[in-house]
Amino acid sequence: MIINILLIIAFGGAFLVYLAGKISGKLRNILSIIISLVILTLIVMLQGKEIEVNYFHFFNFPLMFRINVLSWFFALLISFLTTLSLIFSLNYMKGKENLDFYYLMLLLVNASMLAIVLSGDLLSFYIFWETMSWSTFLLISYNKGKAINAALKYIIMSIAGSLAMLLAIILIYIKFQSFDILFISTHINMSSQNFAILIFLLLSIGFGVKSAIVPLHAWLPDAHAEAPSPFSAILSGILIKMGIYGFLLLFYVILGLKILLSLNIWGIKLNYIFALLGAISVLVPSMIAIFQTDAKRVLAWSSIGQIGYIAIGITIGSSIGTAGGLFHLFSHTIFKALLFFSIAAVEYRTGTRDLNKLGGLMKKMPIVFIGCLISVLGLIGIPLTNGFVSKWLIYKALFLNQNYFLLFIALISTWAAILYGFKILHHIFLGQLSQEHIKVKKAPLGMQIPIMILSFLVLLFGIFPGLALKTINKLIVNIGFKSLSVNLFGIVSETGPLNIINIFAGLMAILLLIIIVFKLGKKKTNIKQDDNYAAGSYIPIDKYHFTSNFYAPLFGIIKPLLIDHIDNFYLWVANRIRSLSDKVRKIYCGNVNVYVIYIIGFAALLIILKIGLKLW
Amino acid sequence: MNPVYLIIIPLLSAFSIPLFGLISKKLVKFIPPLAMLFNAVYAILLIPQILKKPIVVLMGGYSLPFGINLFVGPLGIIFTGVIAIIGFIVSFYAINYIKEGDKEKYHMLYLLLLTGATGAVLTGDIFNLFVFCEILCISSFALVADLGDKRSIESSVKYLIQGSVGSGFMLLGIGLLYGQFGTLNMAHLAQIITEKYGAAQSIPIDLFIPFVFVIIGFGIEGSIFPLNAWLPDAHSSAPSTISAVLSGLAIEIGLYAIIRFVFTIFGITSILPALAILGLITLVIGEITAFAQANIKRMLAYSSIGQLGLIFFAISIGTSEAITGGLFQFLTHAFSKALLFLSVGYMIYRTKSMEISSFKGIGKKMPFASLAFLIGSFSLVGLPLFMGFSSKFIIVKSAILKNSTLFNILIMVVLLCTIIEGAYFFKVIQTIYFKKSNNIEIKKAPATAVIAFFILIIIIIGLGIYPNEVFKILQCGATELLDKSQYIRSVLG
Amino acid sequence: MVYYIGAFGLIIIGLYVLMVKRNLIKMIIGISLINTGLNLFLISVGFIKLGTAPIFSKPGLNPKIMVDPLPQAMVLTAIVISVATLAMALALAIRLYEHHGTLDMGKIKDQKW
Repeated sequence: MIINILLIIAFGGAFLVYLAGKISGKLRNILSIIISLVILTLIVMLQGKEIEVNYFHFFNFPLMFRINVLSWFFALLISFLTTLSLIFSLNYMKGKENLDFYYLMLLLVNASMLAIVLSGDLLSFYIFWETMSWSTFLLISYNKGKAINAALKYIIMSIAGSLAMLLAIILIYIKFQSFDILFISTHINMSSQNFAILIFLLLSIGFGVKSAIVPLHAWLPDAHAEAPSPFSAILSGILIKMGIYGFLLLFYVILGLKILLSLNIWGIKLNYIFALLGAISVLVPSMIAIFQTDAKRVLAWSSIGQIGYIAIGITIGSSIGTAGGLFHLFSHTIFKALLFFSIAAVEYRTGTRDLNKLGGLMKKMPIVFIGCLISVLGLIGIPLTNGFVSKWLIYKALFLNQNYFLLFIALISTWAAILYGFKILHHIFLGQLSQEHIKVKKAPLGMQIPIMILSFLVLLFGIFPGLALKTINKLIVNIGFKSLSVNLFGIVSETGPLNIINIFAGLMAILLLIIIVFKLGKKKTNIKQDDNYAAGSYIPIDKYHFTSNFYAPLFGIIKPLLIDHIDNFYLWVANRIRSLSDKVRKIYCGNVNVYVIYIIGFAALLIILKIGLKLW
Repeated sequence: MNPVYLIIIPLLSAFSIPLFGLISKKLVKFIPPLAMLFNAVYAILLIPQILKKPIVVLMGGYSLPFGINLFVGPLGIIFTGVIAIIGFIVSFYAINYIKEGDKEKYHMLYLLLLTGATGAVLTGDIFNLFVFCEILCISSFALVADLGDKRSIESSVKYLIQGSVGSGFMLLGIGLLYGQFGTLNMAHLAQIITEKYGAAQSIPIDLFIPFVFVIIGFGIEGSIFPLNAWLPDAHSSAPSTISAVLSGLAIEIGLYAIIRFVFTIFGITSILPALAILGLITLVIGEITAFAQANIKRMLAYSSIGQLGLIFFAISIGTSEAITGGLFQFLTHAFSKALLFLSVGYMIYRTKSMEISSFKGIGKKMPFASLAFLIGSFSLVGLPLFMGFSSKFIIVKSAILKNSTLFNILIMVVLLCTIIEGAYFFKVIQTIYFKKSNNIEIKKAPATAVIAFFILIIIIIGLGIYPNEVFKILQCGATELLDKSQYIRSVLG
Repeated sequence: MVYYIGAFGLIIIGLYVLMVKRNLIKMIIGISLINTGLNLFLISVGFIKLGTAPIFSKPGLNPKIMVDPLPQAMVLTAIVISVATLAMALALAIRLYEHHGTLDMGKIKDQKW
């Protein structure tokens, strides 16, 4: 019952907020925050419960909601991030047009995501999946201009994906006469290998589009960059993880570990192919991210990369890998949202997110800088941040699995992450303050709060990963893996424990060493900027902004590898359809004689087919 | 209760309109909504009775198979109900919408069109079917030309030429059937054909020729692929109310006639895969041509061709579930396309342009019309929570259940077409809501239009969420089509 | 038999006109030809050589040599319909000429694609 109430609040609340907005803007803002908080509390209250409710019959198919550890974990992330995003929106969106619509759609996306993870059967999963797709589409379009094409690309790819999904769901239904996920999972071993492969492929298209695994990623960079920033945080933070949730459901609930590992086409294991795709998603987009100049595009490409890590983690098929994947999903939600919020705050104050135009904002916006710093550290995976824990787990799993190739790719990509992470940090906060931005104020409090909360969480789960690992451990046990032995500071295991205390000690030692070396070394001298740099001639202060064209030599080397051929391919297909359409249209040529000829020709054709070919 | 009122009331009120026009010109526009409201209520009240047992009405007291009879089965009442409901909503909308031109003639022809449609689906006699179809056709020729401008006259002429060829083929086919079997009664004809050719493996040629003629004749009305060249012209240049009715109802009458002939009268199931492919081609051509349209009404018209193809495809799968799905898709298309045309009607009226690009940013100025467009297109694309999903779901499911390679491939093509359909509809939605407007003062749609939108929206969302009851009625319709002997028995006793 | 040949001949001529002739008036004549052919065809379906009218006007008439009355009723209806269509078509032709200044359907191609 509580689930029903939860979702009624979520969906009804969205429309209520819209109506409230017609009365007054303040009421709408307060109401939206209240609703999201109520949802959050309800979900927190649901912890550890396993409930199943039948709520409706669509045709004769019973639809049900079901909550377990897996869905609870995702529901918590969703509602938490939405709450923060709403708080952030209060300031960020102030004064923009169509705010009622914005809040309606934001809450609708939130509600449908909750409904997706709470769905106990594939049909309601699909229904809410589509609800999520179209509300996301409307929200991405919100910014107008370039956003329109981005959203169109998104919705077309996502329709394609969801149709593949629909096909798979119906195939499953025809096989098992049920949409109930648990029922299917207990009966799946009665089906043949080919059926399982078909289901795997079809559903992978559906989930792959949402989670932007490489050949299906084309929508993501545009959509993330063009959506309203608080929503970009949701998009990147949790919406693309719905795809991962789907994969988890497919891999470990519907198919189960045993079948997943046995699936192969001509001897090549499907989960290995999937992990390879994950690896490509890590490598190439991370490289592309380095060379973006739009801050949000950097983050967008980086999201694809990080999703790749998660994908690798959850497909290896070992406890530690899946735990790593899930933990990375969790960490990524936090630090990527934090990054998007920081950049949104900067954009809010400066009006631009072009990296080449920003710089030196560290002292102007200290909280935002710290938030950004922490999230970049998390992104790179520096110890004591949550990103470290998750990457450590994934590497460990790859190592134990002897997947040295994937391990190698993952490591290289981390270097790419360092490069783009540093680029963001440097271009926005370090270097020379641009003349235009001298009067920039601090970010408003409503923006600082979410940033501070998230920064705190990055460090909290970096230092005490056990807090989250306990839930994740329960979760992986729930989906059929061996339990890991977890304590507050990490994982206790024979094959190489993860213990943050030791790492902390080691880090401190290194830090101490560095300080000592610096103390012993030469004293630094301060040189005035306009001192002797330009051979005596005066250079206007703006020209000291040397942060454009970072990494140019590297770019020269790998440029040909970085063209997004896949995106180009999709565009090519779209253009072909367009020109095909222009050709086919010519059938209706406007000449009525020709139309009569069509009619008579068709009659003649049917009769000829009958007499000549003896059809029918 | 006598279903004959379903035809008589609209027919009488159609011809009473000029008389009322003598009393007051303002009175005229309220007659079509009233007549259609009567039909809608009457049809809905008839449903429980008909689901138990179909009603056969003898006209003129001649005993069967000599006289003309009405056969009011589940299928007939479904079509009648949809015609009446849409007819009511559209005429309600037209109260304010039709301002120029000769209103009396418009309203009279409008009712005649609906009478023709209702009669065609209720009759049990093939020549009577032809006559009602002609009533429908001729009134729609006139209504397409209602605006009297360059484009509508041209379209009307082209429609008329092709329509006449079509009616020629229809009559030829009917004449051949009569010549061979000596009866015009559908049930009797079906009985004779079953007795004579029931055991035959392939279709004998003397049955096939009239079959082809009839299919071509009604195919023109039902806009199957090479026969549908009139449709985009006529639908795009008629007044939007008429486009809604033509697109939502008139072409489905052609479809109804075809399925009646294929399933009940001829009982030819071996031709179904060919018809499915034909439907699919219609779908593909319709969707692809709609993709690059700049004129919104042409786009919607081409999309109607596509939808018709889909319905045709679904019914041609031939299983009970598939036919139910096809009928459901008919409901979806009728309601959604009517909603789309009606919403577009006021947008065109206000902006005085049919180009999609002139609707930039209209979402703010005409919120209800834009919402109606949004929901109509979501429903047609088949997104869940809207009735398009219910129908598409059933169609896909039944096509896969058919378990033949041919239909598995065809259904993939159907799904690919859905992507194209989504692409062009979403593009328009973006233009309406998310493009910078060109700052012209535009008034909202009037209350009558908004009420019409909301009735349709409620139907679309209601059937999208709770399709169960309607689904049961549609299943009876499918059973009626598939069970030929039951049909014969209930008419001839 | 000759009636059938005549009927189908008329229909085919009508279709030919519709396929080939571009002048609207000629096309309307073509439609009219088709309709006439059809009416002839329907009548000949019920025709019996040396038959009588299907009325028992005097005693002792053999029903076997009565012509079938039903096609005649059909033809009556069909004639009415074709007249209506014809009137409609001619009215439209006048309006079309007012708008376009020509009746050449090959030139009137505003509505296309």
